[in-house]
Amino acid sequence: MSDSGQQQQAKDVCQPEWPENGGEWSDGEDGTNMDCGLLQAMAEEDEEIDVHNEETFGMDLDVHGTTEAPGDLLQFGDLPPPPPPPPPPPELKPPSPHGSPSPPRQRPQYLSRAPPGQRGRGRAQRGGLGRGQMFDDPAVMRTVQGRPSIKGLDSAIVDCGDAMYQNTFEDDYMAPSSRKTRRVSGSILQDSAIVCVIDGHRGQHPTSNFLDTPYPVSPFRGRRGELRGSYPRRQFGHRGLSRMHPSVVPGSPILSRQPLTPRQHYNQTGGFMFPTNRPCPSTQSLPPKMMQHRFGANSPRPSPIYSPSSNSVQHFRYPGPVTQLHPQHKRLLSQKQRIFQRKPDNWDPYCNLMTAKEKEWITRLQMIQLQSEHPYLEDYYYQEYYRRIEAKMAEEELGIRGKREPLKLTTPYITKTDSYTPVVHIEGSLGQVAVSTCYSPRRAISAVHAVQGKGPHEEQKDIRQQRLEVLSKIEKLFVVLLEVEETERMKTTVLSEAEERRLREKTQAKVQHIYSQLQHHEPLDSGGEFLPFLLVSKGKRLLARLLPFLKQDTALRILSIVTCNLPTLMSRDTEEALPVLYPPLRNVIGGLTFSQLIEALKDFTSDSLTCESLTLACQNKFGLSLLYALLSHGEKLLSSGVPLEPSIGDFETWTDTIFQVAGQLSQCSLVEPLLLPSNLLTLFCRYLDKRTVHQLKSNMESATGYLALPS
Amino acid sequence: MMLTLSLVGKDVVVELKNDLSICGTLHSVDQYLNIKLTDISVTDPEKYPHMLSVKNCFIRGSVVRYVQLPADEVDTQLLQDAARKEAMQQKQ
Repeated sequence: MSDSGQQQQAKDVCQPEWPENGGEWSDGEDGTNMDCGLLQAMAEEDEEIDVHNEETFGMDLDVHGTTEAPGDLLQFGDLPPPPPPPPPPPELKPPSPHGSPSPPRQRPQYLSRAPPGQRGRGRAQRGGLGRGQMFDDPAVMRTVQGRPSIKGLDSAIVDCGDAMYQNTFEDDYMAPSSRKTRRVSGSILQDSAIVCVIDGHRGQHPTSNFLDTPYPVSPFRGRRGELRGSYPRRQFGHRGLSRMHPSVVPGSPILSRQPLTPRQHYNQTGGFMFPTNRPCPSTQSLPPKMMQHRFGANSPRPSPIYSPSSNSVQHFRYPGPVTQLHPQHKRLLSQKQRIFQRKPDNWDPYCNLMTAKEKEWITRLQMIQLQSEHPYLEDYYYQEYYRRIEAKMAEEELGIRGKREPLKLTTPYITKTDSYTPVVHIEGSLGQVAVSTCYSPRRAISAVHAVQGKGPHEEQKDIRQQRLEVLSKIEKLFVVLLEVEETERMKTTVLSEAEERRLREKTQAKVQHIYSQLQHHEPLDSGGEFLPFLLVSKGKRLLARLLPFLKQDTALRILSIVTCNLPTLMSRDTEEALPVLYPPLRNVIGGLTFSQLIEALKDFTSDSLTCESLTLACQNKFGLSLLYALLSHGEKLLSSGVPLEPSIGDFETWTDTIFQVAGQLSQCSLVEPLLLPSNLLTLFCRYLDKRTVHQLKSNMESATGYLALPS
Repeated sequence: MMLTLSLVGKDVVVELKNDLSICGTLHSVDQYLNIKLTDISVTDPEKYPHMLSVKNCFIRGSVVRYVQLPADEVDTQLLQDAARKEAMQQKQ
């Protein structure tokens, strides 16, 4: 930004425009383009703003009264003896440490930087902001009643004619009198400060000149007057004292919002001087310093664009009494400040949104909140961190080297004690125990097999294998049987003769197939025909359903097998599936001739184990029932009058059997038969004496639970 | 599924793949053979005490291993024949 350009623009700015184009504001301070009247108006407005600022931010003056080192432009420490000494925060004087060494440094910097933009800025602002209505921002506080206090203040940014840090340090070296002035009106001081600064800026006077002005002022008013007087002395034409005074009145409301010419000027200078986006070193801990945010890019800005960061970085001023930083922190901050101060800044059109005062005000607000009586409680890690840094730096200074390395986090290695056994192994088991999973459900463990686990493996395998074979065969035959039954059911439909015959043949073939299959099983040593199948319950069922389809002779065969092997069947009938055979066998028996009957009965009684078999039969439902059936049939035959064709010795066998059975029945306890034929007692009566019959009857009745029959 | 549908209202024992057996009244069945049981009790040993307070439950069909049907409610012969026929059809 060249001065010439700014000067040209100064004219342009002399319009009621919002100072959006801060960059274009030119410095009219050189005097050539400035209108005195305009300046006057601007000055008036500035005064009002200053008054307001004073009232608003008056408190901050105390903070920065550390050293009033005359040459210390950037001194913002506390006043030497603040009448009500604000609780002197231990960490308070951050500016001081850096202030004292730095001011000489800073001042020249300041001054050197002043020219580039300041002059133009200020003037332009003055020119441009001659209209109060430009700053009619509802967000801006218009009146300040009474002594301004931070808490009572509105959080809105007050439009004040503060310059950037120049203003602030104006406050500082107002410090001596700031105590008084604080009471009176902070804004007034500000005003004075502004004036001084402005003068300093505008005229680009040497520092001494600049600094001289505020110092001799001890009474506020006097100083102010003097300052104000000096004001017109400069380029701003006259700012009559009289004009000032009204605004000096403490607590006087801000009459109108004033253009922020001086502030803008300084703001922009500040923008120039300090890179806006310079990272603030204190950003971590001091939120106010981090305030980069503008108060709305689009909102009417009460002040010209002001870059808080630039300001803050530059002078790093935090309100003294309210700041409670760790000393190490402050040291670091000040160090960083010094580093950053020298960097040239790039113009940021959005800088200088806030004046220094505003920033400081906010800063104070926030710092107050950070105060605490228990720092270690409130923010332990902050304290701890800086304590550690302090310790480390102290150590470094002392030259302690070879410190232990930063502690490493080591987790002890714990060897796994539990070892996972993927395979469950049971003693004595054959390999892996069957563990049930979703994909391989638990295998059924047969208790019988467990008992038989004595024999060699091959035998068991064989047995299992045979069983499986039998079962699979049964299943296959079952399918055929189902077909047979299906055809049988279908016989209700009327079919042609040929078809019927065909069907019948088919059926017979199938039946025969089943029969033959059942008859002969591969390992013929398994007990003869049908037996392996009969031993399996499924086989019994199959046979039972097959029997109706068999011709009599084949059926008889089966019957004989059953009767012959009855003990075996009975003993191995774990599932009590034998009764399923009873109905068909009964039918078969019903078709027996006497001779066949005798034959069958012989099976019951013939072998040496007759007694046992009989006894067993009596114990077994099926056996007993079968016996009863046989006897009943015999009785039926005998009493039917049908001419029997007995073979030789049939009748003897018959009577013998009767007696044997009767004797057996009367002795052992009987189970309830599946069916108790009605003619049994009649039979017995024929052959036995009454007493025996009676005994039999009672026995049978007790078993069955109902009266057998009337004798 | 028709079989299980026909058993709605009867007491069944559902054995799950995690070996948990639950006895209860069959409330409903769906196409996935999800089962809702009411008034349940854990059969076999009560080694699943967390089920003590449960009265009704919904069992996802995929976790069921067996559904033990009441013997008297079902014609086992017919069922077996039907199963065989179905197996035959599936083979073909």
